[in-house]
Amino acid sequence: MKQKDIPHSPAPIRIAAAFLLFLGCSLASAQPGSVTISGSVRDGDNGETLIGATILDLSTGIGTTTNEYGFYSLAVPAGLESRSLSFSYVGFQTQTVDFIPVRDTVLNITLGQGVQLYEVVVKANSFQEQMNTTEMSVEEISTREVKVIPALLGETDILKTIQLKPGIPSGSEGSTGLFVRGGGSDQNLIVLDEAVVYNANHLFGFFSTFNTDAVKDLKLYKGGFPAQYGGRLSSVIDVRMKDGNNQRIAGTGGIGLITSRLTLEGPIQKGKSSFIVSGRRTYADIITRQVNSANADKPDYNPIPDYYFYDFNAKANFTLGEKDRLFLSGYFGRDVFGFDGDFFDFGFFWGNATGTARWNHVFSPKLFHNLTLTYSDYNYNIESKVTGFSFNVGSDVSDLNLKSDFYLAYNNRHTLRFGWNTTRHSFGVGRLKAGSDDGTVSFSGGDDFTAYSFAAYFADEMSLGERWKLQTGLRLSAFANDGKFFSGIEPRLASLYRPRPDLSVKASYARMYQYLHLVSTSGIALPTDIWYPATRRIRPQYSDQLAIGWEKLLGDRFLLTNEYYMKWLSRQVDFVDGAQLFANSNLEEEFAVGNGHGYGMEWGVEKQEGKLKGWVGYTMAIIRRRDFQPVAEGRLFSGAGTTFFPRYDRRHDFSLVLMYDLHPRLTLSGTVVYGSGDRTWLPVGRFAFQDVYGADFQPVVPLYGERNAFRLPYFFRSDLGIVYKFFPKWGESDLTLSIFNLTNRRNAFFLFLEPQYAEGTDPAENPLAIPTGIAAKQVSLFPILGSLTWNFKF
Amino acid sequence: MAIRHLPFLLCFPILLAALPGCGNLEKEIDLDLPTYTPQYVVECYLEPGEPFRLALSKSLPFFEPFPTDPSEFVSSILEDSADVVISHAGTDYPLQNGIDVASLLEKVKVYNYYSTEKVPLDYDQPFSLSIRTRSGDVINGSTRLLPPVPIDSVVVEFDLVRDTLARALTYITDDPNASNYYRRMYHMHSLDSIPDQDFVTNDDFVDDRILVFGSGYELKEGDTIYNTIFHIDRAYYDFWLSTFNAISSNGNPFGQPSGIQSNISGAIGIFTALQYERRMTVVGK
Repeated sequence: MKQKDIPHSPAPIRIAAAFLLFLGCSLASAQPGSVTISGSVRDGDNGETLIGATILDLSTGIGTTTNEYGFYSLAVPAGLESRSLSFSYVGFQTQTVDFIPVRDTVLNITLGQGVQLYEVVVKANSFQEQMNTTEMSVEEISTREVKVIPALLGETDILKTIQLKPGIPSGSEGSTGLFVRGGGSDQNLIVLDEAVVYNANHLFGFFSTFNTDAVKDLKLYKGGFPAQYGGRLSSVIDVRMKDGNNQRIAGTGGIGLITSRLTLEGPIQKGKSSFIVSGRRTYADIITRQVNSANADKPDYNPIPDYYFYDFNAKANFTLGEKDRLFLSGYFGRDVFGFDGDFFDFGFFWGNATGTARWNHVFSPKLFHNLTLTYSDYNYNIESKVTGFSFNVGSDVSDLNLKSDFYLAYNNRHTLRFGWNTTRHSFGVGRLKAGSDDGTVSFSGGDDFTAYSFAAYFADEMSLGERWKLQTGLRLSAFANDGKFFSGIEPRLASLYRPRPDLSVKASYARMYQYLHLVSTSGIALPTDIWYPATRRIRPQYSDQLAIGWEKLLGDRFLLTNEYYMKWLSRQVDFVDGAQLFANSNLEEEFAVGNGHGYGMEWGVEKQEGKLKGWVGYTMAIIRRRDFQPVAEGRLFSGAGTTFFPRYDRRHDFSLVLMYDLHPRLTLSGTVVYGSGDRTWLPVGRFAFQDVYGADFQPVVPLYGERNAFRLPYFFRSDLGIVYKFFPKWGESDLTLSIFNLTNRRNAFFLFLEPQYAEGTDPAENPLAIPTGIAAKQVSLFPILGSLTWNFKF
Repeated sequence: MAIRHLPFLLCFPILLAALPGCGNLEKEIDLDLPTYTPQYVVECYLEPGEPFRLALSKSLPFFEPFPTDPSEFVSSILEDSADVVISHAGTDYPLQNGIDVASLLEKVKVYNYYSTEKVPLDYDQPFSLSIRTRSGDVINGSTRLLPPVPIDSVVVEFDLVRDTLARALTYITDDPNASNYYRRMYHMHSLDSIPDQDFVTNDDFVDDRILVFGSGYELKEGDTIYNTIFHIDRAYYDFWLSTFNAISSNGNPFGQPSGIQSNISGAIGIFTALQYERRMTVVGK
């Protein structure tokens, strides 16, 4: 199949050269007669670094924010006159520090939490700070918000909460899958402490792998991607684990309907090093085992299979001196589904493991460095055994990544970021081993790939006067696999214009390359979904996204945001009709490749402080796929060469989230979600298939029409949460009631068309039974569900 | 816990009790499907030594009403008055329009075009199909006969613990020098019953030439079982798989819907030559 080549050169090279020339001219003007104030900002209660805290020179009005590692650097004019710096962070008491700027100074600041009994919402960015950065298309969520918002079965989930923000529709109901601005679920780069999480789901995506107690915050980029991020087309989801309390031993936990969890944290050396360990496990299997045991004597009883999942997070950090800090963190999670029978044993195991070793070093008050070594692994394995025979199939992907990131606060007009990373990817695709115990029968298959990727980037955030900021960036990426080398030039540009203090106008452009594809046919996150590297036939995907928007402060408390985007997607991967993705030795033959685009508009109003907090979001989007052709000759792709809709082409999406502190002990919360129905692919015709002698007669074989031409009924759900707090002597606890789907609406999970038979006719018993008609049916997943969770903190 | 918390705490069980939260999660809905234009459907299986037979029918809109009487149902979909010719090795075999009664009575299969001529056993020359319908539409197809793959053995094994139940293991030997496709059919008691196993497979993962197909531990002494192994070509494999994908993905949110992969032009369907080995086994210790 012929594909359009990427215009690697000469245009991008010219752009890159112009960019570097511009950058060189800009940097030529240094800042004479100044000293640099640098350091970190932390939570005084537990020593956690505060990301995005604001540092403001009260004399000049010039300020900066802490980076993702809590580091800041600010140049102030040198002199003998005392100056004041204010350090602030929403939900914390602002601290002002006076000093005489005669030399470079390190100021490590701890902020105390606001003195109020109501739930404090800590946002990484205040509205002012958000309006003052070139970053756009960014959504953030803190775990404190997540814990108040009602959740399915009471299981708070940071990925599901972020879906309530504009422009981030989920996949199917209750799923953690994200389809950001017309992108597929595989186009999200999900990182936990900088290590990639390949399948961030438990239980088919109904729960994410992130234990809320262990997570500090989550930041999601929908566009305007900074140059340090790459590898996926549609979003970057940066999840940070807590560092651990370096002041005192503390714990959090909870007992809920489906899981219990416990987190312990504390100082290893007070004020200097700390640890955190966190675990979570479901326990439905404990009940089902008892049920099975009680019914073991009944001859017709079919035992309930075991299912459970668990997560384990651990992190330690060490201050090695004034300039060095070391972080070690890891995650391990598993889903286990199993059945042990008299003749048949079955086990299905899947899960992620990540590990991160991070070394922060402050070379100078202006230059901060982060060196990170990460390991990521996702695998699934299915084992079954019948007398004399065994069957084992699985797939895995693992990465070993080394990256180096520099942050240079060159002066108050230029903040530079540059770095590189290299990754070794190992793929085991569709590994199969089956056969008889005596070795007479043997089956095996699967493919192994080892691929390498490399990227280097450079970005400069420039202040061009009081009203303008510009961030220019360039990322060079490369990937080698299957004897083939791919490369991409990824320019990034973001700008900010603030005509008034209460208004900012932003625009951004980003090109992204993606060298890995997820092999998944449904909108549901299946554990058997396979990551597949770019090869000679399946070349890397890339996207270009252009976004413009504005943010307006309404009074002091409300922020109105509005963004418009266009996204062009090239070399998108879809699947041929009836694709066989499981245990397939020729997986590439199941692919079809084409292009796509998405455009849309997002509105949001947010209120962060006061008794009533929350946001309203609305998204209008149109998504298309086009020009698809099967990779393998002779395979069928309904709609080849034409334009069609992906399943997640959701025209309207509305969400309302409210949190109200009714009483120091009582917080109410509610969410309302409305969305156009997802698209689905339905049959329009049928034929009768009698087959050969001995086979079953099929009176209704569906003939499918246009790909995803139908829309499911609209989606509506409202949830209610009530948090009631207790303040015992040993700490704090609460009871959280979540009522999911308050109106008990039956939202469509999927549709199907079912042949109807006369009463008393069973087609399984009567091979020649003729239906009396066809019924269209809708299946829903969740009725109204209530759950109660007890949480505690000490 | 202080008494002042009681009003709040009482809210929880009351609210929980008020959440019946269940009910039917499946419901019938109204759905408008777009206009559908019927297509021709062909089924033709050439078996050496058996008469030429072919079923020509048409597809229908999905919600088209079903006649309640089986014979009315059959006649409502059959397409008559077409010129049907199967050619092989320079000989044309015209098929007459009419119900092949013998096939209907013996095998409960309806073919509306048939010939008294028998399908020759020839692995070298292809068979070709040519149909001109009464409205002038042309349907063409071509296929070849493959040699049968013998069943090496059917081994009955009784469970060591519960020796009243047994399973059957059916062994065949695969030719490693060719890509082979098989259809496995397994009946208990009678070939007229719905098969207990019916699927297609290939030899992609076979290491040592031996393939085995097993049953569950469900057989009792004296049971009769029928194992059938069809040696099929890629076109029939694709057609059968796509047909059953289309059936199974209607109602399966994890499924990937499929168009029907046919090997004939101008119609949906299959034109294939079949060779199979069938072995009847009476279960005994």
